[in-house]
Amino acid sequence: MSVSVPDAEAFRAEVRDWLATNLTGEFATLVGRGGPGREHEFVEERIAWERRLGEGGWIGLGWSEEDGGRGLPWSHQVIFYEEYARAGAPGRAGHVGEQLLGPTLIMFGSSEQKQRYLPGILSGAEMWCQGYSEPGAGSDLAAVKTRAELRDGQWHVDGQKVWTSLAQFADWCFVLARTDAAAERHHGLSYLLVPMRQPGVDVRPIVQLTGTSEFNEVFFDDVRAAAQDIVGAPGDGWQVAMGTLAVERGVSTFGQQMGFRQEFEAVLAAAHANGAIDDPQLAARLVEAWIGLQVMHWTALATLGARLGAGPGNAPGTEANVAKLMWASWHRDLGELAVDVGGPEATLTGPDYDLTDAQRLFLFTRSDTIYGGSNEIQRNVIAERLLGLPREAR
Amino acid sequence: MEFFDTPEQEALRDALRSFTRKHATPERVRAAMASQTGIDEAAWKSLSNDLGLLGLAVPESVGGAGAGFAEVTVAVEELGRVLLPSPYASSALVVLLLAESVAPLAEELLPGLADGSLVGAPAWHADLSVGADGSLTGTAGNVVDGAAADVFLIAMGRDLLAVRASAVTVTPQPTLDQTRPQASLRLDAAPAVRVGESARALALHRVLTAAECLAGAEHCLDVTVGYLKTREQFGRPIGSFQALKHRCADLAVEVAAARSAVRAAVWTAALPEHAHPEQARPEVSLAALAPLAALVASRTFTRVTGEMIQLHGGIGFTWEHEAHLYFKRAKSSQLLLGSDTALRAEIGRVAGLLR
Repeated sequence: MSVSVPDAEAFRAEVRDWLATNLTGEFATLVGRGGPGREHEFVEERIAWERRLGEGGWIGLGWSEEDGGRGLPWSHQVIFYEEYARAGAPGRAGHVGEQLLGPTLIMFGSSEQKQRYLPGILSGAEMWCQGYSEPGAGSDLAAVKTRAELRDGQWHVDGQKVWTSLAQFADWCFVLARTDAAAERHHGLSYLLVPMRQPGVDVRPIVQLTGTSEFNEVFFDDVRAAAQDIVGAPGDGWQVAMGTLAVERGVSTFGQQMGFRQEFEAVLAAAHANGAIDDPQLAARLVEAWIGLQVMHWTALATLGARLGAGPGNAPGTEANVAKLMWASWHRDLGELAVDVGGPEATLTGPDYDLTDAQRLFLFTRSDTIYGGSNEIQRNVIAERLLGLPREAR
Repeated sequence: MEFFDTPEQEALRDALRSFTRKHATPERVRAAMASQTGIDEAAWKSLSNDLGLLGLAVPESVGGAGAGFAEVTVAVEELGRVLLPSPYASSALVVLLLAESVAPLAEELLPGLADGSLVGAPAWHADLSVGADGSLTGTAGNVVDGAAADVFLIAMGRDLLAVRASAVTVTPQPTLDQTRPQASLRLDAAPAVRVGESARALALHRVLTAAECLAGAEHCLDVTVGYLKTREQFGRPIGSFQALKHRCADLAVEVAAARSAVRAAVWTAALPEHAHPEQARPEVSLAALAPLAALVASRTFTRVTGEMIQLHGGIGFTWEHEAHLYFKRAKSSQLLLGSDTALRAEIGRVAGLLR
């Protein structure tokens, strides 16, 4: 079956029109809400918006038609993410399902699992959260202690996950758990699909240095998952989980960068408004930030090109590590620049610790260089896999 | 958009690497550095005649290969990667600009420039005045490959002018980077002919220099990483120490950023619509991307070569080791391109960020 690909500019117009028509009424208040640093805002409404997106056929644009997607090339996905960000449409409540679980199921799931779970992601009917990190397993993810045991035809899960965003609202969690107590490290782990709405699941919000809560601790006390809700074979969990991390940050990078551009423009406008632009050092930092935006844009294009086999590229996957280190550091610098531009005024918040955009950027970007693999872990990976330097003596 | 070598460009790159393996041996480079002209004459003849490298950007109708800016960039990168002492980058730029020119002088000079019998060089650091008859009087300094040149291209306001070397007093200058000679010029009512726009010339010059910096940075990072894998102290390769690995990882990210900037600038420069760089949007305009690539790539090259010396330890401080050649090339390129402050200010203006 051949996929008909609409003309790029016609497609851009279609995205724009749809957003202009639908991001209105009950959804109008969602403009600029959600996303990193604002993940706690209007979640119920954003889930409703996710369903609206599903009705419009805007979820799973790059998935094959066989998997229920639209089979659109990356160029069109880039257009969608750019227009989505340009319109100020809200941070996606369903991004964990669409960006992480969906591609993982497409890669590793059985046909029954795809039939059961992909439609819920595509329609926005089912929300997902990610159960990887634990208090004792951050950078060293292979140290996970959460256990799962197959008894009486069910998985029984016990343990604790942490840094789980949107856990209160999720219907499901994909959990990396130890299913072979005798095996160590990367061995004996399994990838389970666990329903969140059942007894024994306890979600506790973590209050961050921003004063808000976007992440949670999740406790599992004899929580059940169906025997067949394991992705890959028992013991293959590490490979499946790494597959998820590899698909993370695909074309959605372009939407992220559009958001960066909007943030940069706000900082630039503030610098012009309050005269900070006349400070040569602040002006130089603003130009450097703009340069960083361009470099990240072209790097993302090159990365996509390499993924599509258009070029020799480097060792598979390390482009993502290079890109992460690049954007996380850039974003943190922008956060500092935002409050430096603000000057003394940036020391004052609204009532109830209501932060300004600049303050939120300044504070929240401290997490960018930690989550999804800290800068230090990225450097290890780049040194060992891209440059081929020897592993540290352990 | 083509971000990677086309099959033809890959073949060109391979051919050039075979060529430089043969000609740019450390002995040959050192010998040329110590020579009167600072040029490896044998390598120059071979790349002009055997490879036809100068004719790359010359239209086939005038006896060239009819290739484009991207191919010239490949050549500049590969020769720059090994610091081959030749006036290629200077002369190739002059060829590119004259190939775009409609001036009769361009048509007259191109065949000689394309076969390497003539050499061209741009002179960016000039202090000149124009006489009533259009002739030029004054001086120019830091003219890379100036002593070898038969024709100079000089930016005067919006115009790009050509001056024959026969009308100029040329004095070679001793250089910090001995793999790339410079000269100073004295002009006394030297006849000058308009051959194009100065903005276009400066943009292409910056992109080519940036590409050369990128290749040098790639080479130096490769060599440094290779050394860290084999050098042992405390009973293990020093490249296993995280303090050194993280520094190399940061350099790899910087080189990746420079590669993106250079590829974007090369791609943009090769687009026909950017013959007038000031007319496009900042994100895709050569007017912004050329100084951006120059700033990022020369800064990266400088940083990588400094780290190359440090990470090599004592051996990196010796005359015998190649590190200092790249270190000096990097800093010279950065200084000749203009200060970071000036480039940033220009980018800020072109992109509409500053008032």
